[in-house]
Amino acid sequence: MFINYEHENHVYNVTVERREKYFFITYDNSEYRVEAEEIKPGHLKIKLGDRILKSVITEGEKEKYVFVEGDVFYVKNVELTGTKKTKKKEEESLNSPISGKVVKVEVKIGEKVKKGDVLMVIEAMKMEYLIRAPNNGKITKINFNENDQIEIGQTTVEMKKS
Amino acid sequence: MLTKVLVANRGEIAVRIMRACQEMGIKTVAVYSEVDKEAPHVQIADESIDLGDPTPIASYLNIPKIIESAQKIGADAIHPGYGFLAENPDFAKSCEDVGIKFIGPKPKIISLMGDKIAAKKTMNKAGIPVIPGYSGEKQDIPSLAKEGKKIGFPLLVKAAAGGGGKGMRIVHSEDILEESIEGSKRESKSAFGDDTVFLEKYLEKPRHIEFQILGDEHGNIIHLFERECSIQRRHQKIIEESPSPVMNEKLRKKMGEAAVKAAEAVGYNNAGTVEFMVDGDLNFYFMEMNTRLQVEHPVTELTTGIDLAKWQLKIAGGKELSIKQNELAQRGHAIECRIYAEDPSNGFLPSIGTLKKVEPPRGPNVRDDSGIYTGMKITPYYDPMLSKLIVNAENRDECIDKIIWALSRYVILGVTTNIPFLIKVLDHNEFRKGNITTHFIDNYFKDWISSKKSLPVEAIIALSVYDSMHSRTEEIVRYKESDPHSPWKHVGRWRMGAEV
Repeated sequence: MFINYEHENHVYNVTVERREKYFFITYDNSEYRVEAEEIKPGHLKIKLGDRILKSVITEGEKEKYVFVEGDVFYVKNVELTGTKKTKKKEEESLNSPISGKVVKVEVKIGEKVKKGDVLMVIEAMKMEYLIRAPNNGKITKINFNENDQIEIGQTTVEMKKS
Repeated sequence: MLTKVLVANRGEIAVRIMRACQEMGIKTVAVYSEVDKEAPHVQIADESIDLGDPTPIASYLNIPKIIESAQKIGADAIHPGYGFLAENPDFAKSCEDVGIKFIGPKPKIISLMGDKIAAKKTMNKAGIPVIPGYSGEKQDIPSLAKEGKKIGFPLLVKAAAGGGGKGMRIVHSEDILEESIEGSKRESKSAFGDDTVFLEKYLEKPRHIEFQILGDEHGNIIHLFERECSIQRRHQKIIEESPSPVMNEKLRKKMGEAAVKAAEAVGYNNAGTVEFMVDGDLNFYFMEMNTRLQVEHPVTELTTGIDLAKWQLKIAGGKELSIKQNELAQRGHAIECRIYAEDPSNGFLPSIGTLKKVEPPRGPNVRDDSGIYTGMKITPYYDPMLSKLIVNAENRDECIDKIIWALSRYVILGVTTNIPFLIKVLDHNEFRKGNITTHFIDNYFKDWISSKKSLPVEAIIALSVYDSMHSRTEEIVRYKESDPHSPWKHVGRWRMGAEV
């Protein structure tokens, strides 16, 4: 079967075939022959040459989480329809990453900012989070004042790219 | 003896304290906000009280509501845990006023130690070394600048009411002194409503080493040796250990005595921590005293065999300290790592979501103090700490290997955690050598991003095997094998478990 995994805006094309006790996996012009068993739901023990890989996989609604050797990866199975392009959402970084309190507004309306400039400081549970300009531009709107409560995902300031 | 304890906290520390209560036959009461209805601390408590709104100020910080709950349910004591109300003298006083035992030091000690300038003055008077500095009344810029020049450079300007690095400035030379003082004052005014600052000598190669103390209500005070807490990110400890790799017997004795003297100077009762800064030449200076059970208390428990949470309860119940200083010894080495729901590759932003799978590592001398379970939602309302993993071993080298082993088997799926970052820090050559300072993370991991940005082949193999095993529409491929007459060849597509 053919599977496409999407991870961090990159798509990996994989072929897997099961023949008797072996799985043959083809990826990036290499073929891997492994033996594998699911020792309990989601827990795999995979024999790859003389290596034993242990992995834990769990499924979310659309995504899969794979734990392998201390690292966790978040992937999606995708259908490839033509050329898939994943677009990067630039605007997102102007949204608050967390619910908290605005402790500082560093810019004024009309102010020109450079990429990376701190626009707003938000505090939640003892930690401060900085909202930085994703690109050069001019501030067009400031949605929150100091000491305002801000919720996760709300837009902190709006700016026009220059 | 206490009979029923309300724990005014959540997460792992509430669980930790309730377990100690249960071992001792004390009944437990949990309080919770509506998002924590199914949290572990609520599940293990004998009784629980809904505090409603998840905003801390309306729930876990709501003094009248918590006191009223304790009275209504008949609790004779309240344990504040750490954070939230643990170091709030008004809360301790409110408990006292209604005849409920506050499990911690007396309110006046909490308020004295909460004022960093007053705390330093008290300790200086008691003969405990403090960092040379100025914490006087004169707060105008010229006077402060004059005092700053007397202390010399590098110099640290700190907010008196501060914490977490706010209002802090390091001044390396005289020409930017006044400007830095002004900046610090402005920042602390906006953050704390108070622009009082103090100045102190900035230490080179500073380490954060603290001593655990226990004091009963009969005047006995002991220390339980040190914890090395230099590995910090933005002034938050992330890895703690005991003993400190830099400690020697002579220094330990001197610092331990100073810690006990510091506690005696204020008539300390219950568990507390005396924090010191230690410079490159092993001079030590009193920094502050924490009037609570610390997050990192397990490393002391694992190296001394003393159960600090239980002792807090015994002391609050009026029991005399039966352990004597000369009976205590450190054994082996212990390391704790704080596991946070945050993304190290993305500015350590908190990661919010549902925990799809949680499986802590198990093994000899591996302790997991956690407040999480599979299916739990991580909300933005509270501290993103998921768990503390603590291990102990014969010596530091083995302890490092063991905690790396345990971390790399700690399965937390659904949110991003700092586990890969912790492993990299622990495995760093300078960490292994014990060459650590409070600047360690800034020096070696400033703009760290995970090297595993792309999917490794191991993950691809695991995923494809999993999908192949779980695929319901997989074509049988055996007919491709050598036998051209195989019946499989003529079966076509079929599926397992299809409805008939």
